Amino acid sequence: MLSMLQKPRQAAAQVLNFALILSSAFMMWKGLSVISDSPSPIVVVLSGSMEPAFQRGDLLFLWNRNLLQDTSVGEVVVYNVKDKDIPIVHRVVRKYGEGEDAKLLTKGDNNPSDDTELYARGQDYLVRKDIIGSVVGYIPFVGYVTILLSEHPWLKTVMLGVMGLFAILQRE
Amino acid sequence: MHNTLNRFQSVFGFFTTVAFVLGCFIAATDFYAERAPSGTLKVSNLQVVKGRPHYYSSVQEEYAIIKFSLDADLSHLFTWNTKQVFVYVTAEWPAPKSGVNATNEAVIWDSIITNPSADHLKNIGPATMKKLKKSAQGKTIAPDRGILSLRNQRPKYQITHPSRKIADTENVKLKLHYNVQPWFGLLTWNQNQDIGFWKAIKGGVSAPFSLPSIKKKN
Repeated sequence: MLSMLQKPRQAAAQVLNFALILSSAFMMWKGLSVISDSPSPIVVVLSGSMEPAFQRGDLLFLWNRNLLQDTSVGEVVVYNVKDKDIPIVHRVVRKYGEGEDAKLLTKGDNNPSDDTELYARGQDYLVRKDIIGSVVGYIPFVGYVTILLSEHPWLKTVMLGVMGLFAILQRE
Repeated sequence: MHNTLNRFQSVFGFFTTVAFVLGCFIAATDFYAERAPSGTLKVSNLQVVKGRPHYYSSVQEEYAIIKFSLDADLSHLFTWNTKQVFVYVTAEWPAPKSGVNATNEAVIWDSIITNPSADHLKNIGPATMKKLKKSAQGKTIAPDRGILSLRNQRPKYQITHPSRKIADTENVKLKLHYNVQPWFGLLTWNQNQDIGFWKAIKGGVSAPFSLPSIKKKN
């Protein structure tokens, strides 16, 4: 730490480097968001309702454009229920009508019944704008670290502590 | 420059890159595996009944119970990158009013067919699990699970329409669909035309039929 104060040029370079990593990660995320037209182009699976296809911690890539066809029955979609902030990954099993106003019903492959119970009060069906993307790509397990971090907040403290310790102990 | 942390970081970074590239190669092999699925769907029994959406509801709705027979060969869909194949049969019918160009589609039956490599992930009881694992005989890929033969199969879902009316609907068709879930890579569905080594489903659509009137009580 003391050495940093003695070499301000090197310290500045390190700070800039760190900022570069952060901003390029942010740019890639937002770029992917623009390409896929989805507010959250990559999601981590949080529940087991689509097992055995998706386990907790699996990473899903979303696509939210209807270039060739409407979002249709059989697609696995991620949707947000009105006034709830938890995205849900389930399969579309019924579709009545076409276009923006089509009524969609979803169900988890592993659940015995459809999602009517999960929807907001008085809401029987989803419409297209409730959906933030259809699942197109899959990578297993990689997202599990985010689940660990959000379920065991002390892990964050430990991680920060370890990183700080290394920063102090590290010598050139 | 070469302390433990740096070494660990570069080893871990290299590991993730190699794993990711290897995964992409495995996912790419999907495109070189031939897919020639086929299926025959026949309606065997039709019934429309009145019922309530759930126990505490006072709403009366009409439900169609479509029994069907299915012969399908989806064995090509099972490769080393297949985790499961989700097979589903939908009923499709046009909007009742003429002039409205809209379709309705609802799943009446579905099934999760795992590749033996994913059997342990299936949510079933221990006895059924033992039987399922035994059926694979130690193989990791089981194309024979893709051969389906259902006779007079009861639908898993009784379907209705938001208008609560479904009796006497005309021009209903059953269609066979599948969704291949990989271990790594892109999810794929049945396509309408041939793409490379992947052929469209041969058959897989039933003859159009009309739903009967509500069954009267004697």
